[in-house]
Amino acid sequence: MIDRDEWLDLARKLDWELSYVEEREAFPEQVSGRPWLPATGWQQWDEPYRTSYAEYVDTQSAKEVSVAAVRETVGRPEDMAKLDPAWLSAVKLHAATLPLAEFAAVIGNLRAARFGRDSAWRTTATLGALDELRHTQLPLLALHDLVPADPQFDWVHKLFHTDQWVAVAARHFSDELLLASNPIEFAIATNFVFETGFTNLQFVGLSAAARRVGDRLFEKLVQSIQTDEARHAQIGAPVLETVLAHDPEYAQYLIDKWFWRSWQLFAVITGFAMDYLTPLQHRAASFKEFVQEWVIEQFQSSLARLGLRRPWYWDQFVGALDYYHHMLYASAYSYRATVWFDFALPGPDERAWLAEKYPASWLELDPIWAQITERWRSAGPGVEWYTHGATPVAFCNLCQLVLCSGTPRHNGARQLTHEGRKRVFCSEPCEWIFLREPERYAPHEDIVARIMTGKAPANVIALVTQYFGLSKDDWGSDVRSGHYPWIRS
Amino acid sequence: MTIPLLGFVRGDSLGLIVLVDSEHSIAELAVRAQRAAAMRVAPAAHASVYFAGVRLAPELTVAAAGLGPLDRVDIVPLTDAEDARA
Repeated sequence: MIDRDEWLDLARKLDWELSYVEEREAFPEQVSGRPWLPATGWQQWDEPYRTSYAEYVDTQSAKEVSVAAVRETVGRPEDMAKLDPAWLSAVKLHAATLPLAEFAAVIGNLRAARFGRDSAWRTTATLGALDELRHTQLPLLALHDLVPADPQFDWVHKLFHTDQWVAVAARHFSDELLLASNPIEFAIATNFVFETGFTNLQFVGLSAAARRVGDRLFEKLVQSIQTDEARHAQIGAPVLETVLAHDPEYAQYLIDKWFWRSWQLFAVITGFAMDYLTPLQHRAASFKEFVQEWVIEQFQSSLARLGLRRPWYWDQFVGALDYYHHMLYASAYSYRATVWFDFALPGPDERAWLAEKYPASWLELDPIWAQITERWRSAGPGVEWYTHGATPVAFCNLCQLVLCSGTPRHNGARQLTHEGRKRVFCSEPCEWIFLREPERYAPHEDIVARIMTGKAPANVIALVTQYFGLSKDDWGSDVRSGHYPWIRS
Repeated sequence: MTIPLLGFVRGDSLGLIVLVDSEHSIAELAVRAQRAAAMRVAPAAHASVYFAGVRLAPELTVAAAGLGPLDRVDIVPLTDAEDARA
């Protein structure tokens, strides 16, 4: 029998000379991406895992058995009911925003499996598509089963099928990143920026938090997914290296665009979980500390290794680490009935911890929590509406998230009139992304535009129930509905 | 005519859609914006309103100030000391 290393490259590198169609017809630039290079320009493409399909099946099978064992042991509704309700909200946030985005990533990988420019790349993307299918199914299976015990878990499957505002933002992001991008942009944006740059926040940071909290099912789920991500993320760097060699400005543009968009997503799903929804005694580091270690240090060194510059807005990004997710969380807390998960009110101990972790910004942010706490104190426990907004909020015309950039002293929103229509953006990078490809983004209507054109109701209660698809059974509340002993003192 | 404005109350965490009538005064606009943000920012008795970096006179109407749909206005609540000086 010949040795694995003797046949593997032959099996992976199955490129051949086309005889009855031109290469440009088989791999049109519009679908394969740019820069368009002949096959010889991609033949050095390689990645370190070099997994065969047989090896893939063996490994995945073992992982499935392992996840199933944990699920059967500690994944029943009664097991989940023992967990802190704030932590369960972090799980609901993660579980609704990621599984169907992973399904969109199946499509992105399959496009690369056909239109990627090297056969080994196409092989790895095929395995990547199988990975992403698994990442869709695992949380749907494990967490949607909890619906009878907690209707908010219905949003694990439901979110992406609604026009709830987070869903609008999530689709705006994932449709472009995963469904519509060509294999080159997909590899740089998804595999390199999103997966190697950011997913460690969820897969390492949140997995460790899950262990400390005692949520073995969630820990096992994300760990199992992480090992797949680590493999197929390797698609990105060799694609980026080739693009860099031929069109460095385009490579830099894709890095700058997708780093910002990815950062915003993780500021919500990981920022909320690490700094607000993980019980204080189980927090090991702040979101900012984790980003500094896992994103800033590692991503910067990856960029430097490839000869790329840091994104032009780097100083704004670093500054936003002290503010952005805090402003989003406070905003979302006071509009919690517009989402499908609950919120924890930070008490004196949590606020002291946040002050210690965020000395540059907390003096500006703390008065917001002091005011919300005072409103709870005035109204008494159970009176959710007194700490809940009734006024419609504005959304960024690019990221579709609420306008929470900048600081409480000076919100960073920016306005411009583009082709006769007033636009608002939460930040300078969002405005820049819009202006680079206005034909792509301009037709999209944000929630406010839908309200103003009569497509969505202006009344907040009607908006929440009729347009977002929420009801009193599943809309977000305070996890303790104001029953905090420290509020009375 | 009802005009939706993008209101940013200093000290708040997000931008709001503040609905005003074109004949409302700027002072009324400040009251409405502060009321909309009240669960996060304690309202002050008075507030200054800025449009494109210029402070608007409180007695001016929204129409006279030239505000149109989705214009950004910044509302700066006055501290007691500032209020006394004003």
